[in-house]
Order: sequence, then structure tokens, then C-alpha cells
Amino acid sequence: MNRLAYLLKRILLSIPVVIFGTSLTFIILYAGPIDPVSAILGRGNANGPAAAEIRRKLNLNEPLWSRYFDFMADLLTFNLGQSYVFSPSTPAFEIVVQFLPRTMWMGAWAVLIPLFIGIPLGFYAGLNPNTLGDYTASFSGIVWRAMPNFWLAVIIMQFLSSSQGATVGIANFLNSLPAVSGIQPFNWETWVVQTKVIGPPDLSQLLGPNTTLGLPMPNWENLLAATKKILPASIVLGSASMGNEMRIGRTAMLESKNSNYVEMAKAKGLPPRTIVWKHIFRNALIPLVPVITAEAFVLVGGSVLIEYVFAINGIGYVFLQSMMNGDIPLASALMYVFILLLVIMNIVQDILYTIIDPRVGFEGQ
Amino acid sequence: MAATDYSDQPLADRIKANPRPAAIWAGVFVALIALELGALAGFVMALPYDVITEPLLGALPSVISGPLGGVLGVVADAGAAVDGLPTLLDRSVIPNQGYQMPDGSWENTFLGLSPAFAWALRLVVVYAYAFFVLYWVWRGYLVFREHYRYAAWTPTDDMIDRLRGHSWGTFGLVVVFLFIVMAIFAPTVSPTTANANIENPYSHQVQYYDEASGSVQTVTVGAANIASKSQGDSQNFGIGSYDPHDRFHPFGTLISGKDLFTFMAYGARVSLFIGLVAITIAGGIAVSLALMSAYYKGVFDLATVLVSDSFQAMPQLLVLIMLSVALGDTWISEIYSGAFVLALIFGIWGWTGLWRAVRGPAFQTVENEWVDAAESFGERADVLMRKHVAPYIVGYLLIYASMSMGGYMIATAGLSYIGIGVQPPTPEWGRAVSVGQNYIISDSWHISVLPGLAITTVVVGFNALGDGIRDAIDPQSEGGSADEVAATGGGA
Repeated sequence: MNRLAYLLKRILLSIPVVIFGTSLTFIILYAGPIDPVSAILGRGNANGPAAAEIRRKLNLNEPLWSRYFDFMADLLTFNLGQSYVFSPSTPAFEIVVQFLPRTMWMGAWAVLIPLFIGIPLGFYAGLNPNTLGDYTASFSGIVWRAMPNFWLAVIIMQFLSSSQGATVGIANFLNSLPAVSGIQPFNWETWVVQTKVIGPPDLSQLLGPNTTLGLPMPNWENLLAATKKILPASIVLGSASMGNEMRIGRTAMLESKNSNYVEMAKAKGLPPRTIVWKHIFRNALIPLVPVITAEAFVLVGGSVLIEYVFAINGIGYVFLQSMMNGDIPLASALMYVFILLLVIMNIVQDILYTIIDPRVGFEGQ
Repeated sequence: MAATDYSDQPLADRIKANPRPAAIWAGVFVALIALELGALAGFVMALPYDVITEPLLGALPSVISGPLGGVLGVVADAGAAVDGLPTLLDRSVIPNQGYQMPDGSWENTFLGLSPAFAWALRLVVVYAYAFFVLYWVWRGYLVFREHYRYAAWTPTDDMIDRLRGHSWGTFGLVVVFLFIVMAIFAPTVSPTTANANIENPYSHQVQYYDEASGSVQTVTVGAANIASKSQGDSQNFGIGSYDPHDRFHPFGTLISGKDLFTFMAYGARVSLFIGLVAITIAGGIAVSLALMSAYYKGVFDLATVLVSDSFQAMPQLLVLIMLSVALGDTWISEIYSGAFVLALIFGIWGWTGLWRAVRGPAFQTVENEWVDAAESFGERADVLMRKHVAPYIVGYLLIYASMSMGGYMIATAGLSYIGIGVQPPTPEWGRAVSVGQNYIISDSWHISVLPGLAITTVVVGFNALGDGIRDAIDPQSEGGSADEVAATGGGA
């Protein structure tokens, strides 16, 4: 089976997955106990002419099966419907486009940061097994992963936003340290660029007006501010990934290190540096690929709570709001987008895996 | 997968032939029961439990007794309800609520000890008892293995020995055990009870010595709570402090003045309840599907893969939010303040990972000769799978279940943090994080920080236990990646 056929099969198999997921969403949201009319008009006002009008508009009088087919047809043609509580009469697609970038910005950093912390730490631990460094790195990885993200977010948010002004408790102790040593107290909000700790990052001015060779140049200052703004949230969101990558990285490193081809390379008299980078490192990366892509699942779902704590208005926040307010079309549209994202990510992961490690083969699950 | 018995001689006959070890073991059991008989009887008398939680918690013993083994099963059957369990050592035996006279002596506490000492003593006694019961169960296994089992050796022995020698796994087991004991004995280990302190503070009273009038006064717990609020730098009752009414707060108080330790002990109960119910549902679905797909293979397996993929394609936390909100107004969310709904959702959505964890081992086990042999004897499919395949996949189930328990705890706390999930007055750790969040950098940091630390510790414990079981059943394996995501609660 060649790669193209594999890709086709993969896509074909994901179609029922999407249909099943969206059907389930429909059943929960439309056939469930939520009454959209009372969500719009307020509880207790679900009768009378206004309610009847809304029922007619939303096709609530039609039988469930016909609404189901309309719903599925609309989603598959990417006609995502209109929000009616969160932002009345705005197409859901518009809302997604408006709020998605912040979540993506946070998610991108949440994938990147752990890569550059977790993998090196894991490889370090794997190269020096059963040393103090290994134990410290492994143990902190385990604890770091076990900490609830929302709790970590709350703690970090409180400490960063109070690095100045607080004169009591733990903050008092922290602030008293510089007084002794003579260093300026650290203040996150004014550090490098002025940003607030909570609130959405400003992504509108990332590209500056200056153009070189006709290409838009990044506006460094805004880019820096937007990055710094999202950094605490991204670190928290990526914390679990970091722990996982560290664990898997350590194991992979240990396995490669003790394998036959490394013995062979040693016997050939290759310098240790070449062995580590060319033979161990590259092979140890293989098992990390599914771990990294699997983080997408955690990132998509986990963004809701982090966005809640840091008041980042991304799609996680929109989803929470739409659910709380009974904005069913928006919620189902978002769920559809999430399902599509995860399915695509899954396909990409499988393809990547077969490219990086051809031994996995196209037949394997 | 307890030791399989191939003997033609029933266990009772073997015990009759050599009764001494069994008699000693049973004697200890009688002594253990005798210690708490009064408490048990007292409970049966004082039945009217919380009207809503009672029928539900009444169902719990059957769920608990499986995984937790004989101890709880025996006690649970006697108590007939979880609320019957806790007062193993009745809190009134070692009372810790009293008042201090002007000369510094304490009235109404155990032996005139200070409330802090009385409470600590009760805590130590409860844990000593619990650990002794655990040891007694362990001895029971050893006695059985040495004296009564037909087979001199089974593979399970090696697994259990490996788990014993696995210090990281043992650490996990101890942490998990501490957590479970805290949950089961919540009313006993707490300085006060949830009913008196959290649910109905105005129908309970507390005595204190009033210096102004120079006499012993009585106020309602609710009024006393108002005087013991932890509200940051202006007023705080932190770790190990006494409030104006001489009540002792090991972990301090909440911003409402309620005792945080009591809140957390009862919160542990909710978490344990959700975890056990969810894992039972998820495990049941996962094992049946894995066995069926290993037996029927082909189209059935493909269909299961597709369904499982579809479930996994929906982000767990978002589904949780969606379903908790959708079911928020129904009768089902009334049960145990919404904890039951969460448990159901976790169970129905959690089987996919469990199923993936046991599908491979199930397929491998089916390949063995003994399965063919049993089949050629004409054994029915369900008996075949249950008897000859299921025992070999239980270990893998346990690994993933242990990891998932941590994930469920994190996700429950996360949902309660944003206000869906477990509703007041039922305590839940995530809600404590939420109410104390603005006081983290003040003197009242304990409100948010301690529950978070507790979640972290318990989740580390469950993960360590999972690692230990994995190394015990499969010493060659070096950690899988499939179960890693389960440990993080869908990103909560």
C-alpha cells in the first residue's frame, strides 16, 4: 500500500468519526433537556407569541429527524448557523474566525515551550540515568504533570499580578528579598514590555506597516508584547505535555542508548558526540512524535479553563459562554470545529509517523 | 485475578485439615470488629441520613467492595450504607471540641487535652486502625497462599512480590490509601462534621468561655463561623489555628469561616465516589468490548475502533461542560449535588482509553493454546472469555484505571472550579480553589493552595501506583504513552 492510498484510507475512515461525533453533539444539544427558547427569552417566558415566533424561526416545530438532517447538511457544507445569545444574529463562523487566533496563539506557544524544556530535560535524564539530576528531573516532571492546570494558572496569575504593591503574606517575603540583596523587586507587568497579566493578547498589530522587499515585516514590539502576554497561560497549558515529553524522552533515550546499533557504533570507535547526536538522539525522537501530536487533544480541551482564569477571549471561552447561555447553534458549531481539528490532527500524526518511522508500516493501527 | 484454584478439594476442607492459621486470622478479624461494634450499632439506630445521598451511597458498598477488597466489603455489608462506615472510631470517643477556661485548662475535650492534640490523636488512631486492617488483609492473602492454596506458585505471586519491591509503586499505594481512608472516615478525622459545619451550621451549637461575662456561653455554629472567616490580611485563621470560639482548624478556615479540613475530607469523599463509579462503568464497558472484539474480531472490531475514535474525537473537557450544562436542570443532577452526573459522564466517555489499553492484551491472550483447548471442549463463548482471557487483562486495566482516577479528580476539580460539576453545599476541592483564589498572595493563602496541593499529591499517588502495577505485570515495559494523557484529566 503506498502512501497516497494510505492517506485516502485514513481520510475515508475519519468520515464516520466526524459524522458520529456531530450526531452525538446534536443528540445532546438538540434532543436533550436544553430549551433554546427559554435560553433566549429567559426562564419562564417560553410561552406566548414571541416564543412561537422563535420556535418557527429555529424550526423547532419540525420533527427531530428532519432537523437532524438539516443540521448535518448545514455542518457538512460549513454553514454553521447563527449565534442567538452570545452575539445575536452573528454567523457562528464569523465568531470562530474572530476568537480562534488567540487560542491558536496560546496553543502554539503551549506546544513549543514544552518541546524546548521537556525533551532536553528528558534526554538529559536518559543520558544520565539514576543520578541526582535524573531523579530531580523525573520527579519534577511527574509532579508538574499531576498539578491541575487551572490551579497552577490561578497561582501563577496571582503571583504575577501582585509582584508589586502587596506588602503582606508570601508576597511580603518575596518583596523583602531584594531589599536585603539590593536588587530591584521583580515586576512581571513592567518587565521588558508593559503588559497586563490577564486579558486577551493584542494580535491585530503583529505585522508592522514597514515592508522590506514588499513583504510585511513583523512589528517586533507588538509581537513581543503579545508573546509575553500569552506566556504564562501557554506555560500552564503546556505543563502536562512537558511532563509527558520528559518521561517519554527519558525512556526513549534509555532504550536507544542500550540498543545494538549504539554498541556497534561504539565498537567502530565513533566519538561519543557523534553517537549521541547521530545515533541516539534521532532514534529517540521517534516515540515522541505521537506524544507531541496527542497533546493537541489536551490543548484543545484544556484551553477552556486557562482562558477562563487568564481572561483570554478565545474559542474555549466562547464555548463555555455559549453553553452557559444555552446558545446551542454556536456551541454545536464550535464542537464541530473542534472535532474537525482533532480528526485532522490525528491524520497528520499518522502520516508523520509513517514518514519518520517507516517500520511502523501502513497496515498497522 | 486472585489465585486460581485447581483443586478438587473445596477450600472449607483444606481449612478443616489445618485450622490454626485461619483461626488466628479470623480471631484478629473478630477483635477488629469488636473495636467498632458499638459504633456500628449506633449507626443502624441513628439511621435518618441525608435524604438524597442515602439511597445513592447505599449503592456504593457493592462498588467499593470489589476494588478495595474484603475489608471494606465486610464493614460495608455490616453498615449497609457508606454513612455507616465512617464512625469506625466514633468521634465522640475522642472529642476535640471544647473551650478553654481562664486558667488555661480545657473543658469537654478528651482527657482535658487541647483540641489540637485531641484531634491529632483521633487522626492517628483512625489511621493506625486503617493500616492495621490493611495489614490484616495482606496477612489473609499470605495465610491463604502458604497454607490453603492448592498451587504452590502462580504468576500473580510474582506480580505482587514485584509490586512490593517497587518503592515508587508502594509510595503510590500508601498515598492512595491515605486518601481513601480520609474519604471513608471523613466524619471521624475531621475536627467537626460537614452537617454541623457546612450544611446546617445554624442547627448546631458550640460552647465557649466568654471572658466578658466570665461564663460559658453557647452560640450556633453559623454565628461562630462568621467570627472565624479567613479574609486575607485583615483577618485570618490559617494552618493549625484556634478561632475566637476555641475551635481548632488544622488547615485553617474558608472565607465563610467554615473549617477547611472538614471541607477537604468530605471533598475527598466526593472525588472517591466519582472516581469509583466512573471507573466501574468505564471498566465494564471497556472489558466487555475488548473481550468481544478479541473473540469476534473483523467487522465488530472495526466498528468498535470507529466508535472509540468518534468518542475520542470530541475533546473530553468540552463534552463534560456540554453534558453537565445540558443535564444541569434534570433530576439526575440532583443526586449527590451533581457528582453522580459527573461520574456517569466520566464513565461513558472514559471507556475508550481503557478499551485501548486492554484490547491489545486481549487479542494476544486469545491466541494462546488454552483458549483453543477450552473452545474445543465446547465451552460457551462468554465463559471462555471470562475464565480464560479476562484474568490476563485485569492488570492492564488496573494500570489505566489508576491513571484515570487521577484524571477524573483533576477534571472534577476543574469543572467545579468554573462552577459546573459538584454544587454546594457538597464540598469539592476545586471549589475551594475558586473561593480562595483572590487571597493567594495574602495571609489566607491556605484556602486555595492546600486543596491544590492535595489534588497534586493524590494524583501523583495514583500515577505512581499505576507505574508500579505496570512494572509488576510487565517488568520489560518502559512506560507506555497511551495512558499518559489519561493522567492529566483532559487538560483541566
